[in-house]
Amino acid sequence: MTAFPAVLLPLPVAIPLVVCAAMLATAHLLPGRVPDILATLAALGVAILSAFIAAHAADGPLVYWFGGWEPRDGVHLGIGFSVDEASGWVAAFIGLLYALTFVFAWGFFGRTHGHFQILMLLFLAAMVGFCFTRDMFNLFVWFEVMSVAAFALTAYHLEESALSGAINFTVINSLAGFLMLGGIGLIYAQTGTLDFEGIAAAVARGGRDPVVAGAFCLVAAALMIKGAIVPFQFWLADAHAVAPSPVSVIFSGSMVSLGLFGLAKVSAVVFAGSDQVQHGLPVLLTALGSFTALLGGWMALLQRHLKRMLAFSTISHAGIMLTGIGALSADGTGGMLVYVVGHGLVKGALFMVAGILLATRASIDEIALRGLGRGIGPAGIAMAIAGLLLCGLPIGVLDQGTRGVQGALAQQGHGIALAAGAIGAALTGAAVLRAAGRIFLGLGPDSGDEAGAPSEDEREKANRPLWLMLAPCCALLVLDVGLPAHLIEHALPRAASAFMHRPAVDTVAEGPGWLPWMSVLAALAGAAYGLLRDRLPAFVVRSVGATQSAPTRALEALHSGLIGDYAAWLAVGVAIIVAMLALA
Amino acid sequence: MLPYAVAAWLFGIGLYGIATSRNFIHLVGCLGVCQSATYVLLLGLGYRWGSIAPIFYDHPPGTPAVDPVMQALVLTDIVVGATLTALLLVLTIQAYKRGGSLDPEKLRPMRAGSKSGRGQGSSRGKDEERTAP
Repeated sequence: MTAFPAVLLPLPVAIPLVVCAAMLATAHLLPGRVPDILATLAALGVAILSAFIAAHAADGPLVYWFGGWEPRDGVHLGIGFSVDEASGWVAAFIGLLYALTFVFAWGFFGRTHGHFQILMLLFLAAMVGFCFTRDMFNLFVWFEVMSVAAFALTAYHLEESALSGAINFTVINSLAGFLMLGGIGLIYAQTGTLDFEGIAAAVARGGRDPVVAGAFCLVAAALMIKGAIVPFQFWLADAHAVAPSPVSVIFSGSMVSLGLFGLAKVSAVVFAGSDQVQHGLPVLLTALGSFTALLGGWMALLQRHLKRMLAFSTISHAGIMLTGIGALSADGTGGMLVYVVGHGLVKGALFMVAGILLATRASIDEIALRGLGRGIGPAGIAMAIAGLLLCGLPIGVLDQGTRGVQGALAQQGHGIALAAGAIGAALTGAAVLRAAGRIFLGLGPDSGDEAGAPSEDEREKANRPLWLMLAPCCALLVLDVGLPAHLIEHALPRAASAFMHRPAVDTVAEGPGWLPWMSVLAALAGAAYGLLRDRLPAFVVRSVGATQSAPTRALEALHSGLIGDYAAWLAVGVAIIVAMLALA
Repeated sequence: MLPYAVAAWLFGIGLYGIATSRNFIHLVGCLGVCQSATYVLLLGLGYRWGSIAPIFYDHPPGTPAVDPVMQALVLTDIVVGATLTALLLVLTIQAYKRGGSLDPEKLRPMRAGSKSGRGQGSSRGKDEERTAP
């Protein structure tokens, strides 16, 4: 185990880059499905290699210095990769998600000369690099590569909505990149190094320093923009709703949570020595996270466009992840890391179901699709199971992550965040279950408030066999449910401590066992209300409608789709972060 | 202190421009202004009074030079900026071709009540219901 060749570390980044470059050079010569096969194999290779690296990283982080530029006398000149167990497994999960997405997108884009696969492989390389790097500026570079690939993929269809969604996405995430670069410049000016460990040591020596706090504000704001935390969440609903469904699988399954993964790493490793940051963080992160979980869940329940609904559900779950980071403990961060994987599996499956509906029923509108799902029952079952898992059914990886996050929050007395997370999960679960009931069972003739939500016509290539699209979707769900719990339980305390560079803990606290069940019950009740509204007594429906319609319309109006509004909210969000850290 | 102030001012004015812009080309320009803030900040942070550029071809090693790392960061930043501007302008051209306008107000992505919105969706839904198996 000790003689691990560290030279393997860059390979999970290099493989997709090499394959994508080779494919770009030869795309016009490659016949038919070769790009699909190459891309799937490359992604599988990344997954296997990352898992291998992760298994070896169990004893301690593996480090690789590019060009042999190892630090000497505490001076870090080189750029390094440092892979701890958790980062390795997250990278392996991302590789697997890509491989399954490539299978799902088999033949999706017709004759494209492999451009889709090329962009996706670039995206994959950037994500793995983002997980592995130990250098602030390198982190920024992967962040930008990830963004540019994502912008191009969003606009892939070149339709009006896709284009304006992509422009909003591009502008807001570019601003995130500038903020991050400013933050990196400040921290470099203060500490004289870009290496995580070097900065951490210098920050710990420096004491209370406004420049360090300012740098953290900028970097954290950038990562929260990527992670779609309120009030930076606006771009996500626009981008995810209009992107092609295989791209949305990747966006929701890994890109958004990777922003928060980066935030967890940066705040636990790089800024661990700054008392000001560490005092301000719990309140800041749990408050923003709780608010995000509630708002995202509420908005999800009000949507009729399936991909937009799932996008808001992703926002809600990003909020729950943020509260996990906010606990600032190995439990919370460990729970959050498991949550990232579980959420990616379930949300990926849900976006695949949305893609199946688009391909086989040529619509993505919940109300227009009512009862049309009858011919594709297996997809309905997958959607219902995914909905139940999403709201907290206590089985599988997502539940394990939820319990970790809830345990940490309960232990630290963040009662509000705990409740907000449970309610947010219940709301998103209710939205998914309602859509499943309406589409596949034909329930819910009264469309209620969601009828006023934005929706749009969309079509995706139809001539793909159902089983080919359904297989990766089911594989994701089976992975979520079937991954042996004791393996995660065994590895988690060690991996979380290594991730946070803290001494190992023995056990991980778990939240109250009844809380997930409450979420499931609330979700079922919410879905039932939406579906059986026409059979309920009039006074119930009227009172709910009277109290809920006005705030609903206000919220929808807030998500105006105007880039100017989003930029203004971005300024507000940065101001909130600065103010909360200044008060700490 | 001056570079900080200039950078903050540039970023603020760029953000104001984005927030109030009614033309995508203008908006891309404002984004460029925001990005200039990062150039100024990074170059200002790396600058040393009385130093040379970090090229030692005709200077003996050990001559005080400005910080080359910051300059490398700025170079990368410029590359990023060029990519983003190009991509955004491409998207803008495509949006103009399809939407016939450069006004963000007229090119909103998927809004309730927009012309390509709900009405069309539900009428299509009815067609589907007739033809569905």
